[in-house]
Amino acid sequence: MAMLQIQNVRKSFGDLEVLKDVSIDVEKRDVIAILGPSGSGKTTFLRCVNFLEHADAGTMVFDGESFDMHRISRKDIARIRKKTAFVFQSYNLFRNKTALQNVTEGLIVARKTPKSQAEEIGRRMLAKVGLSDKCDSYPNQLSGGQQQRVAIARALASDPEIILFDEPTSALDPELTGEVLQVMRQLADEGMTMLVVTHELNFAKNVSSKVVFMENGVVLEAGPAGEFFANPKEDRTRAFLRTISGEAALTE
Amino acid sequence: MSERLISILLDSFWKILLPGLTMTIPLTVLSFSIAMVIAVAVAMVQFANIRILKQLARFYIWIVRGTPLLVQLYVVFYGLPNLGIMVKPFPSAVIVFSLNEGAYCAETVRAALESVPKGQLEAGYCVGMSYLQTIRRIILPQALRTAFPSLSNNLISLVKDTSLASNITVMEMFMATQRIAGRYYAHLALYIEVAVIYLLFCTVLTRLQKVGEKKLNSYGAN
Repeated sequence: MAMLQIQNVRKSFGDLEVLKDVSIDVEKRDVIAILGPSGSGKTTFLRCVNFLEHADAGTMVFDGESFDMHRISRKDIARIRKKTAFVFQSYNLFRNKTALQNVTEGLIVARKTPKSQAEEIGRRMLAKVGLSDKCDSYPNQLSGGQQQRVAIARALASDPEIILFDEPTSALDPELTGEVLQVMRQLADEGMTMLVVTHELNFAKNVSSKVVFMENGVVLEAGPAGEFFANPKEDRTRAFLRTISGEAALTE
Repeated sequence: MSERLISILLDSFWKILLPGLTMTIPLTVLSFSIAMVIAVAVAMVQFANIRILKQLARFYIWIVRGTPLLVQLYVVFYGLPNLGIMVKPFPSAVIVFSLNEGAYCAETVRAALESVPKGQLEAGYCVGMSYLQTIRRIILPQALRTAFPSLSNNLISLVKDTSLASNITVMEMFMATQRIAGRYYAHLALYIEVAVIYLLFCTVLTRLQKVGEKKLNSYGAN
């Protein structure tokens, strides 16, 4: 059975229906790329999964436990959040904390991990993303790529069952995008379960195991990455892939 | 300047400075400390949108900011005895100054809280922290750093505003000066002297503000 099932999620902002019945199944070790044009609802969907947005309807089955996404209690949200991690487009590192403190804060405060142990984990995670020498730097002393890698280390620190990535490279210039994608690829190779909203076609093609294509608040097409790129079924998917790879060719 | 005037100024310097150190400064420090507690609490209930408390907070700020400080001092010290509530001069001054300063600082702190990007709170949630934990460890420290220059401003104003306490018989610097001035009939010189001492206090605070800002800027603005 899937580790995480999201079923029939709906979400409106006022009159604007952003998600119309979106469902996704995530197996352990899946790396799922969620593609789609701007405004397709993919970021909103990801935020609903972590309850940063409150879905109007939907069911979540996580580790065999079922939750009504609209009526879920605060306690259950807190419990689910402790099993997940989120990486933001704009990094959202705690600006008043050093890189190391960013990684250890959640462990010490939310999980009551002893400080020395948390720091040991923090250093290990920062080493993993190649930032051992930046432990004491504040976010504003780091480049965008470095900040995003600290954010990934922070996500890893709590040993989550799944990491949600919301366009993790969209705020970065191309040079810095590579260092973040490389870290994400390494995680995928190690078997981390990841749900990634992205515009990086190459990442979706080469790293992800499954691809979900969204448009106008619905999933238009979903399937194994190889199949999706080799043989897209929907006209709209083909058109999207053509446009976006055309753009990629232009920028190369 | 006549020799007499110089000797009056020198002679009175310590007589003015002493109540400054034993009255003006304790009054300021005590009132401002309480004001900060009020400010953070009042700002927080508004920021967290706690319905009834938020309305109370707005009401408190409305009353305090809309009435003169001097009138507030009179109401507490000369007015409350009509209701049988007698408050001694110094406590009256502390009550009024903390409530007054608290209202102004609350607005400063609230604005600073609102200036912290929403993503900071979301990031707190995502690493498993609760609302209160995130506020206390992430949002509030950033907000107070933003508010620091304005709060320093409020503190400097308060130092000078304590002179109003002379009106309710608090024996602070200005009252001491008034007495000496009356005795020697040298008002201009003595009022300028006390002004210079206030200026001295505020200069020290301005310096401290600079040091504080430098220290807080170690993690810079982003």
